[in-house]
Amino acid sequence: MKYTILLPICIVLALFSSAFSEEKETYFALHQDSQFLTLDHASMCEAIKDYTPHNEAVVFSTAIGKVSCFTSFDPVPRKTYIYHKWYYKDKLSTKKRLLLYPPRWSTYSSIQLRETDIGPWRVEIYDDKGKLLKILRFSITE
Amino acid sequence: MEMFLSSIASIRWQDIVDILLLSYILFRLYVIFRDTYAFRVIAGIAVLWIFQQFAISLGLILTSWALRGIMAVAALIIIIVFRNEIRNVLQGKNFQTFLWGFSHKGDLTPVEVIVKSINALSKKHIGALLVFPARDNPGDFVQPGIPWNGLLSGEMITSVFLNSSPVHDGAAIIQGTRISEVGVILPLSHRSDLPLRYGTRHRAALGLAEISDALILVVSEESGKVAAAKDADFTEITDDDVLVRILQKHAGSSEKAKWEIKKETLKLCAAALASFIFITSLWFSFSRGPDTFITLDTPVEYTTRASKLEIIDTSVNTVSLQLSGPETLIKAMRPEQVGVRLDLDKAVVGLNTFPITLDTIKLPPGIFLKKVTPPVVEATIDIATTKEIPLQADLTGKLPENLILTEIVTEPDKIAVTGGNLILEKISTIYSKKIDISDFSQSGKIEVEPLLNSISLRIAPGSPEKFSLSYIIKERVAAKEE
Repeated sequence: MKYTILLPICIVLALFSSAFSEEKETYFALHQDSQFLTLDHASMCEAIKDYTPHNEAVVFSTAIGKVSCFTSFDPVPRKTYIYHKWYYKDKLSTKKRLLLYPPRWSTYSSIQLRETDIGPWRVEIYDDKGKLLKILRFSITE
Repeated sequence: MEMFLSSIASIRWQDIVDILLLSYILFRLYVIFRDTYAFRVIAGIAVLWIFQQFAISLGLILTSWALRGIMAVAALIIIIVFRNEIRNVLQGKNFQTFLWGFSHKGDLTPVEVIVKSINALSKKHIGALLVFPARDNPGDFVQPGIPWNGLLSGEMITSVFLNSSPVHDGAAIIQGTRISEVGVILPLSHRSDLPLRYGTRHRAALGLAEISDALILVVSEESGKVAAAKDADFTEITDDDVLVRILQKHAGSSEKAKWEIKKETLKLCAAALASFIFITSLWFSFSRGPDTFITLDTPVEYTTRASKLEIIDTSVNTVSLQLSGPETLIKAMRPEQVGVRLDLDKAVVGLNTFPITLDTIKLPPGIFLKKVTPPVVEATIDIATTKEIPLQADLTGKLPENLILTEIVTEPDKIAVTGGNLILEKISTIYSKKIDISDFSQSGKIEVEPLLNSISLRIAPGSPEKFSLSYIIKERVAAKEE
């Protein structure tokens, strides 16, 4: 008789406990997602050294051989990806998909420079939803 | 004959109006100028022209050349020598006379009043000179007197020629029912066969009669006798009937004058017919000659009432028109008389095809279209819009090795550009004209102009033509050795 009374109480307690823990997880997940992916820093640079942009500039000579687009995000709420779209004179030249990991992440994309690349360029930075985050404009010269 | 009949059959109503209108204009010119010396010279030039054409057809080079020279001189003479006559003719006509009126020989004169006045002057031995002009303008031959323009009456005539009047020595000009001028000095005749009883007044009357078609009545101060001078002759007036007959004849109301009016009417009819025949022959020689072909490259024009439409691109700028028509009309054709005009009112945004039909081609009368190349024109139409577009500096040259250009700021950062919507949709950046950075050594600020690559683009009103560009230059950080 004792067990017949205790069993339903245990089941109810177990269910309540289980429901509370799920709710807690959902609450934390929701709280974490409410922090938007934020672009902390973006620049064009000659090279990346020690995970930081080296010689940030807006004009690059083809003599340096390479140009990079550095982006740093803080916070990164969840694992996601972004796009670096490289345009030469309004024409899409290349599109790079880069992964981001929480809680903060820096990443970059680069292109090799040739004589035919001389002229005005821009890099458009998009999130995984296609939202434009930033445009970086620069020139490639002799 | 068959060719003639076919050309008659192809006459349009516009051609008939063309011929009739020109014939009438020619006829009116004849009516207005027929009794002038200038007209006689023009008629002479026309005869010379016929001779010249004849000489050309016979290959008489020198004769045709000489005739052409004479005609050129004669044309000059008409303008210089007869300028007064032409001016008098044109000034003396009103609108009705120019378009449809006919000038009759002289105006009706109140004969009875004149006869009574002459008798009164004659009885009182009051010397008088009365001029009755016909077709010739007396102003061309006499020294002007005092304008009077008074209604004709016996008392008025007597008062003009009384010895106490300051104008009694001159002549009075009578036109219609009015005394138009008094105290007029007439030219004297130089004839040596005149009777001795004729004094200065008679010589003056004869002088004018010799050079014009006017009738002049003279009343002798000494004898009171009356004489009429006409066409270099004197007629002694013995009684009133003679004077009445002379005045009526001069005014054109006698039987002979009536016959003359009939003769004149016939002359006018003949002139009208001659004008019609002349213009018809001229028209046929111009518009029904042997056909000649010509190919003409004509620019295509576009018209629209919608000001926002813009032409972005066209398949051709000119079309080639193969035209035919009489040689004379083809040779006389000017480029501005031919045109292709396309109406854009029914055009849609994007690619449009316009067929080139007769409705879209403007041709002078008598010229016909044989072929159009190409038969259609394709045009890309767009609607004009304004868009704000980001500016970007287009840099060239090379900075010194130790320097880097770290930042560029344009002010304003966007520019409003007007142009075709289709073009603007594809443009996301407006670049500046090339900026050489080779001489840059430190941070600074410059003014630069935007570069609009398409001719259909322009900077929107209110947007600046130039923008400022601030730049920051820093020392390059040397790369660490790894």
